[in-house]
Amino acid sequence: MSDLRDTMVIARREFTERVQSRWFIAITLLGPIGMVALVIIPSLLIGNPAGSKIEIIDRTCPAGAPCPALHDRKGVLAAPLSEALAAAQWKPAIIAADTPDQIEMDRIRDKQINGFVTIPEDALGGGHIVYRGDNGSSQVVHATLRGITTRIVQTERGRRAQISPDQLEAIIQPIEVESQQTNGKTEAASGQASFFLGYALAYILFLVITVYAVAVMRSVVQEKTSRVMELMVATVKPRSLMAGKIVGVGGAGLIQVAVWLTIGALTLAYRAQLLGMFGISGGGPDLPSLTVGVVVVALAFFVLGYFFYASMYAAVGAMVSSEQDTQQVQMPIMILLIIGIVSVTAVSGDPRGFTSAVVTTVPFWSALLMPMRFLLGGATTVDVVVSLAVLAVSTAGVAWAAAKIYRVGVLMYGKRPDPRELLRWLRY
Amino acid sequence: MTSHALVVRGLVKKFGNHVAVDDISFEVPRGVVYGILGPNGAGKSTTLRMINDIFAPDAGEIVVLDGFRPGSEAAARIGYLPEERGLYPKMKVGDMVEFIAELRGLGRSEARRRTAVWLERLGLTQWTKNKVQDLSKGMQQKVQFATALIHEPELVILDEPWSGLDPINAEVLRDAVDEIRASGRTVLFSTHQMEQAEKLVDHVCIIARGKKLLDGKLKDIQRREAAEGLVSLGFSDAAARATAEVVLGDRSLVSGSRPPTAGRDDGATDREVKLADGATAQRLLAALVTAGVQLRRFEVVVPSLHQIFVDRVGSSAAVAERRPEAS
Repeated sequence: MSDLRDTMVIARREFTERVQSRWFIAITLLGPIGMVALVIIPSLLIGNPAGSKIEIIDRTCPAGAPCPALHDRKGVLAAPLSEALAAAQWKPAIIAADTPDQIEMDRIRDKQINGFVTIPEDALGGGHIVYRGDNGSSQVVHATLRGITTRIVQTERGRRAQISPDQLEAIIQPIEVESQQTNGKTEAASGQASFFLGYALAYILFLVITVYAVAVMRSVVQEKTSRVMELMVATVKPRSLMAGKIVGVGGAGLIQVAVWLTIGALTLAYRAQLLGMFGISGGGPDLPSLTVGVVVVALAFFVLGYFFYASMYAAVGAMVSSEQDTQQVQMPIMILLIIGIVSVTAVSGDPRGFTSAVVTTVPFWSALLMPMRFLLGGATTVDVVVSLAVLAVSTAGVAWAAAKIYRVGVLMYGKRPDPRELLRWLRY
Repeated sequence: MTSHALVVRGLVKKFGNHVAVDDISFEVPRGVVYGILGPNGAGKSTTLRMINDIFAPDAGEIVVLDGFRPGSEAAARIGYLPEERGLYPKMKVGDMVEFIAELRGLGRSEARRRTAVWLERLGLTQWTKNKVQDLSKGMQQKVQFATALIHEPELVILDEPWSGLDPINAEVLRDAVDEIRASGRTVLFSTHQMEQAEKLVDHVCIIARGKKLLDGKLKDIQRREAAEGLVSLGFSDAAARATAEVVLGDRSLVSGSRPPTAGRDDGATDREVKLADGATAQRLLAALVTAGVQLRRFEVVVPSLHQIFVDRVGSSAAVAERRPEAS
């Protein structure tokens, strides 16, 4: 009983020390701001091209008649284009077909216009229509121009082929092909967006597990370097010390992940309103929502995965006597984590495949990858439960071994134990 | 049947091939100040660590306060100043003391109350909210001391308490130890500084190279050593000393003589003699008077702890062997 009390007292110390630090507060709050920014900034970057001042140079020839010289020429596309752009709140103007490009470039430089469209003589036969302007990199400007110009060129082509506007409409009606991500049970969501979210989830778990497990190791090493260790192990069992440390540091991590996931879920759920606040309508890119189920699964895997790796890192901390020494000893664990994060592609590529099933069940990687696989619909609830069970049992084993190493290691200064010695510690 | 603060029987601890503690037994009665004395590397800290459940002994048994094995129940009743001084550098002074108090079994509010009292006593109140790392070494020592005493333990264990203390703080420490003794509690400390120890201890245990050399009440030991016979003689002049040579040469009375160890008077007129087996100071005095030796001083020497220590430990063991690292 008193062991548990000691553990909680130690956990409270570790927890408060972390939660009170300015860094913790800053990162916990800035993280979500970053996530919100991730949703808003792309929409903002797209910008609003309404009000763009552009001029149109149209060099096309009228149908059936000999083509007049350039300075007399009046293109067939300029008028409908100007009309359509004006309807989209742009400010178009038609200028002479023989206007040299240089004059227009100067006008852009002098900020008199945003840009100009050059329609070549062979535009109806496939010639490139070029827009040059200070907003030329904008996807929306491009999309708007492309949409309007396509329609106008098609209409003119239809007119020359003597196809009625209605017939033309019927012919060019777009054919939509859509791919959706589903496991046959949940409602399908946009495939691409799910991948994005799955990646984000895997990376956040990787990041937070690594950061907090390493924090446990550093905390152990600092107890050794500040020599407070002897006082601590005289006062409490090393087991309680290790457990308290892991629980306390993990508590801080759990709060951070919970805050992030909650804000992430809220951001996704209310993104239309959120974007509206920034004057963007339409809800921005199509993203799926984080369901409660996914959040719960992610938190469960975070907790177990964290305990799994934190125990290992605690043992590493106990094995070395200075922070520099940790570099080499933690390498094998780091490699395990990196294999996990590299396998993200394997899981996202084929969430229902054999490789996915393996890497999301092996305890080294399940914590990083299973939430993603679950999100992508590759895993059933049974898969999740089995994977959690495997992870829980392995975590218990790792914690047991770590406690043994910790018990012997905490008062070791100087030389690092070799593997044979470590085995002896386990039997101690 | 007296009750004991600590009973140690047949304690053995090996590190690899090195035997750090070799079959050590001793008993610490309640309410005394008990000193474990020995040169560096004698096994003092290893012994204290086993009592504090930091190391598990390879053999032997430890009973704390008549019935506790080293472990968490005993820990609530023990205060410990480790040889490796160390606190959490980034913790506030008040929080640090309170934290250890809670781990030693006090409730949170009680821990807070006593922390305030102790910091006040040690003159650290104004530093309560400062981080440990912002304090001077001496003040950190005081905080460390507070962590050992905050829960008013029945047994206070101090490992090399004087190391790194300035004379003023050494005085504060001695006062605190006196106070603990006056309240009927027990202090067990280790040191190799005999002068400090002599001012405080009731009982001692001298160990060297992991083995116990002797233990018991300091007074008894001193009496025994005195009975074994060291007499300090002061002759009135060099002639008187010459006259005495006959008596001092009597091997049934005196086994050896030498000039005084401490630089008291000069060697010309003073002698320290060791009585032969079976001889008494009384007989020596009678012989000297009979021989007509003019004496200025005749003193049965009560050996200082330092002397006993040097005599027993000897110069050979005083040089510590390779100090074993914990493993």
